[in-house]
Amino acid sequence: MKENINYKNIYYPPGGILIWIIILLELLTFGIALIAMVVSSKSNPEVYHSSRLMLNSTYGVINTLFLLTGGFFMAEAVRFIKKNNLTKASFYTAIAILSGISFLILKGVEYYEKIEHGIGLEYNSFFTFYWLLTGFHVVHVMVGVIILAFMYKGLKSVKSPISPESFETGAHFWHMVDLIWLLLFPLLYLIF
Amino acid sequence: MKLTNKHTIIILYFLTLLSGLLSNYSPYIFYATIAILIFAGIKFLLVAFQFMEMKKAHPFWKNILVIYISLFILTVGLILYK
Repeated sequence: MKENINYKNIYYPPGGILIWIIILLELLTFGIALIAMVVSSKSNPEVYHSSRLMLNSTYGVINTLFLLTGGFFMAEAVRFIKKNNLTKASFYTAIAILSGISFLILKGVEYYEKIEHGIGLEYNSFFTFYWLLTGFHVVHVMVGVIILAFMYKGLKSVKSPISPESFETGAHFWHMVDLIWLLLFPLLYLIF
Repeated sequence: MKLTNKHTIIILYFLTLLSGLLSNYSPYIFYATIAILIFAGIKFLLVAFQFMEMKKAHPFWKNILVIYISLFILTVGLILYK
């Protein structure tokens, strides 16, 4: 890792400025959609409450723990790649990939149960938001897992190894998936 | 004491489980809802500042994250309270 990167410079935030522009845009988009959902809940609080109770909050909690665990191991992987310890960095990246896959499997189970009970996009306004928000988030998780898999391959590659800077940027994409979920989880599963 | 990634993940797990427990009282007790939102905000900032190392960044980036999450929680809280 280039030790001469000065993160205190406004143009060089950790992970790079481009990933941070993407992160802020994503946070803005999901944030606006979530606020629209809260506004919509005011006209139908009973529907939102009964719909929220139809979701399995235990799944939500477990999925949050999966993503946080993945985030922790990616943070550790970045720490170790900066120390040039590629063995530990690749091991931690592999655990983060597994946590992402676990999230997707559990989300798949949750989606299957909802579809089996006939709860689709048009069931009511709560579930319209539920499907759209979690659906877009799942796409981000899938992309994140693919990025992590490429990063893992890059760590193992002798011919074209991944640079620590690129690794950190990829890790930031994974953390972004975490940040979005930390906003979605309480609003969809806990508060209504 | 310096906050490490290990300390952070323990706090994150704890706040997640606590939020899950508090959801039994939401929306009947408004303070439970507010507590869940504040815990979400703390978790958001812990991930951003510790895992993403934004604690090392220029104040512009730190402020933008704090302002974003504060405005988000405030807006959601106010809409729910009204």
